[in-house]
Amino acid sequence: MSKPEFVYVIYIASTPEKVFTALTDAKMSEQYWAGNRVVSDWKIGAAFALKLKREETDVTGKVLEYDPPRRLAYSFHPQHGGMEAEPPSRVTFEIEQQKDQVRLTIVHDGFEPGSKAFEGISRGWPFVLSSLKSYLEVGKVLRAHWYEDEQQGAA
Amino acid sequence: MPKPEFIYVTYIETAAEKLWEALTSSEFSKRYWFDTELKTDWKVGSPFALVMNGTTRDVGEVLEFDRPRRLSYTFRHVLSEEARKERPTKVLFVLEPHGKLVKLTLTHEDFEPGSKLLDGISKGWPAILASLKTMLETGTALSIPPAALAIEGFQ
Repeated sequence: MSKPEFVYVIYIASTPEKVFTALTDAKMSEQYWAGNRVVSDWKIGAAFALKLKREETDVTGKVLEYDPPRRLAYSFHPQHGGMEAEPPSRVTFEIEQQKDQVRLTIVHDGFEPGSKAFEGISRGWPFVLSSLKSYLEVGKVLRAHWYEDEQQGAA
Repeated sequence: MPKPEFIYVTYIETAAEKLWEALTSSEFSKRYWFDTELKTDWKVGSPFALVMNGTTRDVGEVLEFDRPRRLSYTFRHVLSEEARKERPTKVLFVLEPHGKLVKLTLTHEDFEPGSKLLDGISKGWPAILASLKTMLETGTALSIPPAALAIEGFQ
């Protein structure tokens, strides 16, 4: 059985610098990533955290590559829902300029067969990257009803 | 070995009816789909063709037309002799409204093992769907340079 791997390509009318900044800035990520924040000082080997708005624990990891505005990679290890028992996976972003647009390729790999984290990220990335695109092109993020409903329920 | 197929999910801030119109009308497809026209009357069983700048590139037949939820057609590339020999593949669009968003899921499947077409469409669909999303959200489609896709025979 082959190892699960998630690959997604999206084109964004923006610049490599803006896309790279959006991927690495806590305040910007909070906007398009449904309230979640990427936090790191982005030195190679330094800690990376995705602070999840709706969980007690962060996704933890380490910065593996930081080559603005072309490549970014970090390890990715959710600490909730049983996924803490799985080995960390790896997220790699590649940014290429195409005329007045950017091609953003994300590869999320390093999962064991049957990984629960893989299921989660396969559903999550298309939404996060769709929202990132809207955020950079329209200045407006996508609001997902399933998050809004949760917030109303919690209030 | 995983089944050769291509699946892409994107979220678009629009109405399902508008997205349906964009997926089925040449007036829109010419704007976001590399100047491609959709030649068909959309009756189930009717012939279907994708005509780019006057050249028929792909042909098939309408399998499902369930406005504004499910659209499906067979798909065979006819420009290269190699691709012409491959069996017809199947394209399915599923539209699911979620509040102000529509979740669009594209599944392109039934490829022969080692299909040449699979490589081409895997590069093509992300660009077409990114341009479609931008057109519906901003009013202007992306103009992605065809050469940027690095698809053999598509410049």
